[in-house]
Amino acid sequence: MMNGANLLERRLRLSGLLLILGLLTEVICLFWARPLSFLVLAGVGGVLLILGVVVYLLSLVSIRHSSQSGGT
Amino acid sequence: MPLQTTLIISLVVFSIAVIAVLVARPVITATRGGKIMAFLVLFILPLLCAGMGVSNELERSKTTEFCLSCHIMEPYGQSLHVDDSSYLAAAHFQNHRVPAGEACYTCHTNYAMFGSFKAKLHGLRHIYIYYLGVPPAPDRITLYEPYNNRECLHCHLGARSFEQGAVHNADPDLLPAVKANRVSCVSSGCHETVHNVATLSKVKMWTGQP
Repeated sequence: MMNGANLLERRLRLSGLLLILGLLTEVICLFWARPLSFLVLAGVGGVLLILGVVVYLLSLVSIRHSSQSGGT
Repeated sequence: MPLQTTLIISLVVFSIAVIAVLVARPVITATRGGKIMAFLVLFILPLLCAGMGVSNELERSKTTEFCLSCHIMEPYGQSLHVDDSSYLAAAHFQNHRVPAGEACYTCHTNYAMFGSFKAKLHGLRHIYIYYLGVPPAPDRITLYEPYNNRECLHCHLGARSFEQGAVHNADPDLLPAVKANRVSCVSSGCHETVHNVATLSKVKMWTGQP
Protein backbone atom coordinates (compact mmCIF):
# COMPACT_ATOMS: atom_id res chain seq x y z
CA MET A 1 0.00 0.00 0.00
CA MET A 2 1.21 3.48 -0.84
CA ASN A 3 2.17 5.60 2.17
CA GLY A 4 1.18 9.24 2.60
CA ALA A 5 4.53 10.69 1.57
CA ASN A 6 4.59 8.78 -1.72
CA LEU A 7 1.00 9.73 -2.46
CA LEU A 8 1.81 13.38 -1.82
CA GLU A 9 4.85 13.21 -4.07
CA ARG A 10 2.82 11.63 -6.86
CA ARG A 11 0.14 14.27 -6.60
CA LEU A 12 2.72 17.05 -6.52
CA ARG A 13 4.28 15.59 -9.65
CA LEU A 14 0.88 15.42 -11.35
CA SER A 15 0.09 18.97 -10.31
CA GLY A 16 3.49 20.17 -11.51
CA LEU A 17 3.13 18.45 -14.88
CA LEU A 18 -0.33 19.94 -15.43
CA LEU A 19 1.01 23.38 -14.52
CA ILE A 20 4.01 23.01 -16.83
CA LEU A 21 1.69 22.03 -19.71
CA GLY A 22 -0.57 24.98 -18.94
CA LEU A 23 2.36 27.40 -18.76
CA LEU A 24 3.84 26.04 -22.00
CA THR A 25 0.47 26.65 -23.66
CA GLU A 26 0.56 30.20 -22.30
CA VAL A 27 4.07 30.81 -23.70
CA ILE A 28 2.99 29.56 -27.15
CA CYS A 29 -0.10 31.79 -27.07
CA LEU A 30 1.95 34.83 -26.03
CA PHE A 31 4.28 34.29 -29.00
CA TRP A 32 1.43 33.49 -31.40
CA ALA A 33 -0.41 36.81 -31.62
CA ARG A 34 -3.59 35.70 -33.38
CA PRO A 35 -7.26 35.91 -32.35
CA LEU A 36 -7.39 32.16 -31.83
CA SER A 37 -4.51 32.30 -29.36
CA PHE A 38 -6.72 33.93 -26.71
CA LEU A 39 -9.20 31.08 -26.96
CA VAL A 40 -6.41 28.51 -26.71
CA LEU A 41 -4.94 30.37 -23.73
CA ALA A 42 -8.26 30.47 -21.89
CA GLY A 43 -9.66 27.13 -23.04
CA VAL A 44 -6.59 24.90 -22.87
CA GLY A 45 -3.93 26.74 -20.86
CA GLY A 46 -6.41 28.07 -18.32
CA VAL A 47 -8.02 24.68 -17.75
CA LEU A 48 -4.63 22.97 -17.31
CA LEU A 49 -3.49 25.64 -14.85
CA ILE A 50 -6.71 25.41 -12.84
CA LEU A 51 -6.49 21.61 -12.79
CA GLY A 52 -2.87 21.80 -11.64
CA VAL A 53 -3.69 24.19 -8.81
CA VAL A 54 -6.75 22.14 -7.78
CA VAL A 55 -4.72 18.89 -7.72
CA TYR A 56 -2.11 20.64 -5.54
CA LEU A 57 -4.72 21.99 -3.12
CA LEU A 58 -6.52 18.63 -2.99
CA SER A 59 -3.24 16.88 -2.27
CA LEU A 60 -2.68 19.16 0.73
CA VAL A 61 -6.18 18.54 2.07
CA SER A 62 -6.25 14.79 1.45
CA ILE A 63 -2.77 14.13 2.87
CA ARG A 64 -3.56 16.15 5.97
CA HIS A 65 -6.84 14.26 6.30
CA SER A 66 -5.18 10.84 5.85
CA SER A 67 -2.39 11.65 8.31
CA GLN A 68 -4.98 12.67 10.92
CA SER A 69 -6.93 9.44 10.30
CA GLY A 70 -3.78 7.36 10.59
CA GLY A 71 -2.86 8.98 13.92
CA THR A 72 -6.10 7.99 15.67
CA MET B 1 7.39 42.10 -29.21
CA PRO B 2 6.30 44.56 -26.46
CA LEU B 3 8.41 44.68 -23.30
CA GLN B 4 5.40 43.70 -21.19
CA THR B 5 4.91 40.48 -23.17
CA THR B 6 8.63 39.70 -22.96
CA LEU B 7 8.55 40.12 -19.18
CA ILE B 8 5.51 37.85 -18.83
CA ILE B 9 7.13 35.20 -21.02
CA SER B 10 10.27 35.43 -18.86
CA LEU B 11 8.19 34.95 -15.71
CA VAL B 12 6.36 31.98 -17.24
CA VAL B 13 9.63 30.35 -18.34
CA PHE B 14 11.07 30.91 -14.85
CA SER B 15 7.95 29.33 -13.33
CA ILE B 16 8.23 26.32 -15.63
CA ALA B 17 11.87 25.85 -14.59
CA VAL B 18 11.09 26.02 -10.86
CA ILE B 19 8.08 23.71 -11.21
CA ALA B 20 10.26 21.27 -13.16
CA VAL B 21 12.71 21.19 -10.23
CA LEU B 22 9.82 20.39 -7.90
CA VAL B 23 8.51 17.68 -10.23
CA ALA B 24 11.97 16.12 -10.47
CA ARG B 25 12.60 16.25 -6.72
CA PRO B 26 9.27 16.37 -4.86
CA VAL B 27 11.07 15.18 -1.74
CA ILE B 28 12.22 18.75 -1.11
CA THR B 29 8.67 19.57 0.02
CA ALA B 30 9.25 17.47 3.16
CA THR B 31 10.88 20.41 4.92
CA ARG B 32 9.08 23.55 6.08
CA GLY B 33 10.95 25.67 3.53
CA GLY B 34 10.08 23.19 0.80
CA LYS B 35 6.38 23.39 1.67
CA ILE B 36 6.47 27.16 1.44
CA MET B 37 8.30 26.90 -1.86
CA ALA B 38 5.72 24.41 -3.16
CA PHE B 39 2.92 26.79 -2.22
CA LEU B 40 4.61 29.63 -4.06
CA VAL B 41 5.53 27.55 -7.08
CA LEU B 42 2.39 25.45 -7.47
CA PHE B 43 -0.17 28.04 -6.43
CA ILE B 44 0.94 31.67 -6.40
CA LEU B 45 3.18 31.69 -9.49
CA PRO B 46 0.74 29.87 -11.82
CA LEU B 47 -2.12 32.15 -10.82
CA LEU B 48 0.10 35.19 -11.31
CA CYS B 49 1.23 33.95 -14.72
CA ALA B 50 -2.35 33.15 -15.77
CA GLY B 51 -3.65 36.53 -14.65
CA MET B 52 -0.86 38.44 -16.36
CA GLY B 53 -1.19 36.33 -19.52
CA VAL B 54 -4.94 36.85 -19.82
CA SER B 55 -4.56 40.58 -19.10
CA ASN B 56 -1.86 40.82 -21.77
CA GLU B 57 -4.03 38.99 -24.31
CA LEU B 58 -6.98 41.26 -23.56
CA GLU B 59 -4.82 44.33 -24.08
CA ARG B 60 -3.39 42.87 -27.27
CA SER B 61 -6.90 42.19 -28.57
CA LYS B 62 -7.39 45.97 -28.70
CA THR B 63 -4.58 46.53 -31.18
CA THR B 64 -5.14 47.40 -34.83
CA GLU B 65 -2.68 44.67 -35.80
CA PHE B 66 -4.77 42.09 -33.91
CA CYS B 67 -8.03 43.10 -35.63
CA LEU B 68 -6.42 43.12 -39.05
CA SER B 69 -4.80 39.72 -38.54
CA CYS B 70 -8.04 38.13 -39.82
CA HIS B 71 -7.91 37.92 -43.60
CA ILE B 72 -11.45 39.22 -43.93
CA MET B 73 -10.47 42.50 -42.26
CA GLU B 74 -7.66 43.34 -44.71
CA PRO B 75 -9.77 45.74 -46.82
CA TYR B 76 -10.73 47.60 -43.66
CA GLY B 77 -7.05 47.95 -42.84
CA GLN B 78 -6.42 49.29 -46.36
CA SER B 79 -9.26 51.78 -45.95
CA LEU B 80 -7.26 53.42 -43.16
CA HIS B 81 -4.67 54.44 -45.78
CA VAL B 82 -6.99 56.08 -48.30
CA ASP B 83 -5.63 59.45 -49.40
CA ASP B 84 -8.95 61.26 -49.08
CA SER B 85 -9.96 63.21 -45.99
CA SER B 86 -13.65 62.51 -46.63
CA TYR B 87 -12.98 58.88 -45.64
CA LEU B 88 -13.77 59.13 -41.94
CA ALA B 89 -11.77 56.14 -40.73
CA ALA B 90 -8.72 57.11 -42.80
CA ALA B 91 -8.84 60.74 -41.63
CA HIS B 92 -9.00 59.65 -37.99
CA PHE B 93 -6.23 57.08 -38.39
CA GLN B 94 -3.81 59.20 -40.41
CA ASN B 95 -4.23 62.31 -38.27
CA HIS B 96 -4.00 60.44 -34.96
CA ARG B 97 -7.49 61.46 -33.90
CA VAL B 98 -7.53 57.89 -32.64
CA PRO B 99 -4.44 56.02 -31.40
CA ALA B 100 -3.04 54.40 -34.56
CA GLY B 101 -2.20 51.26 -32.61
CA GLU B 102 -5.79 50.84 -31.35
CA ALA B 103 -7.74 52.42 -34.20
CA CYS B 104 -10.41 49.73 -34.65
CA TYR B 105 -11.07 49.29 -30.95
CA THR B 106 -11.24 53.03 -30.24
CA CYS B 107 -14.15 53.59 -32.64
CA HIS B 108 -15.85 50.21 -32.45
CA THR B 109 -15.97 49.68 -28.71
CA ASN B 110 -19.01 50.76 -26.78
CA TYR B 111 -18.38 53.60 -24.34
CA ALA B 112 -21.36 52.68 -22.18
CA MET B 113 -21.19 50.36 -19.18
CA PHE B 114 -19.75 46.90 -20.01
CA GLY B 115 -18.78 48.22 -23.45
CA SER B 116 -15.40 46.50 -23.44
CA PHE B 117 -17.02 43.26 -22.28
CA LYS B 118 -19.57 43.43 -25.11
CA ALA B 119 -16.77 44.14 -27.58
CA LYS B 120 -14.99 40.99 -26.40
CA LEU B 121 -18.17 38.93 -26.77
CA HIS B 122 -18.53 40.24 -30.31
CA GLY B 123 -14.91 39.27 -30.88
CA LEU B 124 -15.65 35.70 -29.77
CA ARG B 125 -18.58 35.62 -32.17
CA HIS B 126 -16.33 36.87 -34.96
CA ILE B 127 -13.82 34.10 -34.27
CA TYR B 128 -16.59 31.51 -34.27
CA ILE B 129 -17.95 32.72 -37.61
CA TYR B 130 -14.46 33.07 -39.08
CA TYR B 131 -13.39 29.51 -38.26
CA LEU B 132 -16.66 27.56 -38.05
CA GLY B 133 -19.25 29.60 -39.88
CA VAL B 134 -19.56 31.26 -43.26
CA PRO B 135 -17.98 34.71 -43.03
CA PRO B 136 -19.54 37.35 -45.28
CA ALA B 137 -17.57 39.12 -47.98
CA PRO B 138 -15.74 42.17 -46.53
CA ASP B 139 -18.05 44.65 -48.27
CA ARG B 140 -21.12 42.83 -46.89
CA ILE B 141 -20.06 43.16 -43.25
CA THR B 142 -22.45 45.35 -41.29
CA LEU B 143 -22.55 46.67 -37.74
CA TYR B 144 -24.66 44.84 -35.15
CA GLU B 145 -26.64 48.01 -34.59
CA PRO B 146 -26.60 51.54 -36.07
CA TYR B 147 -23.47 53.43 -35.07
CA ASN B 148 -24.22 55.39 -31.92
CA ASN B 149 -23.10 59.04 -31.76
CA ARG B 150 -22.02 58.35 -28.19
CA GLU B 151 -18.87 56.72 -29.55
CA CYS B 152 -18.02 59.90 -31.54
CA LEU B 153 -18.96 62.23 -28.69
CA HIS B 154 -16.69 60.34 -26.33
CA CYS B 155 -13.86 62.37 -27.90
CA HIS B 156 -15.55 65.19 -29.83
CA LEU B 157 -17.98 66.46 -27.21
CA GLY B 158 -16.68 69.78 -25.92
CA ALA B 159 -14.07 70.07 -28.65
CA ARG B 160 -13.99 73.52 -30.27
CA SER B 161 -14.04 72.16 -33.81
CA PHE B 162 -17.17 70.18 -32.98
CA GLU B 163 -19.04 72.65 -30.79
CA GLN B 164 -18.27 75.75 -32.87
CA GLY B 165 -17.96 74.21 -36.34
CA ALA B 166 -19.78 76.28 -38.97
CA VAL B 167 -21.71 73.35 -40.45
CA HIS B 168 -22.63 71.99 -37.03
CA ASN B 169 -24.10 75.38 -36.08
CA ALA B 170 -25.75 76.29 -39.40
CA ASP B 171 -28.95 74.82 -38.07
CA PRO B 172 -29.51 75.54 -34.35
CA ASP B 173 -31.36 72.25 -33.97
CA LEU B 174 -28.53 70.14 -35.36
CA LEU B 175 -26.08 69.95 -32.44
CA PRO B 176 -28.77 69.07 -29.84
CA ALA B 177 -30.10 66.39 -32.22
CA VAL B 178 -26.60 64.97 -32.77
CA LYS B 179 -25.91 64.94 -29.03
CA ALA B 180 -29.19 63.15 -28.40
CA ASN B 181 -28.37 60.60 -31.14
CA ARG B 182 -31.47 61.63 -33.10
CA VAL B 183 -29.31 62.59 -36.09
CA SER B 184 -26.50 60.17 -36.82
CA CYS B 185 -23.01 61.50 -37.48
CA VAL B 186 -22.28 58.78 -40.03
CA SER B 187 -25.56 58.19 -41.81
CA SER B 188 -27.13 61.57 -42.23
CA GLY B 189 -25.30 62.78 -45.31
CA CYS B 190 -22.55 64.40 -43.24
CA HIS B 191 -19.77 61.88 -42.47
CA GLU B 192 -21.22 58.90 -44.30
CA THR B 193 -18.02 57.84 -46.11
CA VAL B 194 -16.42 55.67 -43.44
CA HIS B 195 -14.58 52.58 -44.73
CA ASN B 196 -16.35 52.06 -48.09
CA VAL B 197 -14.27 48.97 -48.80
CA ALA B 198 -16.15 48.24 -52.03
CA THR B 199 -14.59 51.30 -53.69
CA LEU B 200 -11.01 50.91 -52.48
CA SER B 201 -9.71 49.86 -55.89
CA LYS B 202 -10.75 53.23 -57.31
CA VAL B 203 -9.17 55.53 -54.73
CA LYS B 204 -5.64 56.77 -54.21
CA MET B 205 -3.74 55.39 -51.22
CA TRP B 206 -1.56 57.31 -48.82
CA THR B 207 1.79 55.56 -48.52
CA GLY B 208 3.07 57.27 -45.38
CA GLN B 209 3.11 55.81 -41.89
CA PRO B 210 0.70 57.09 -39.23
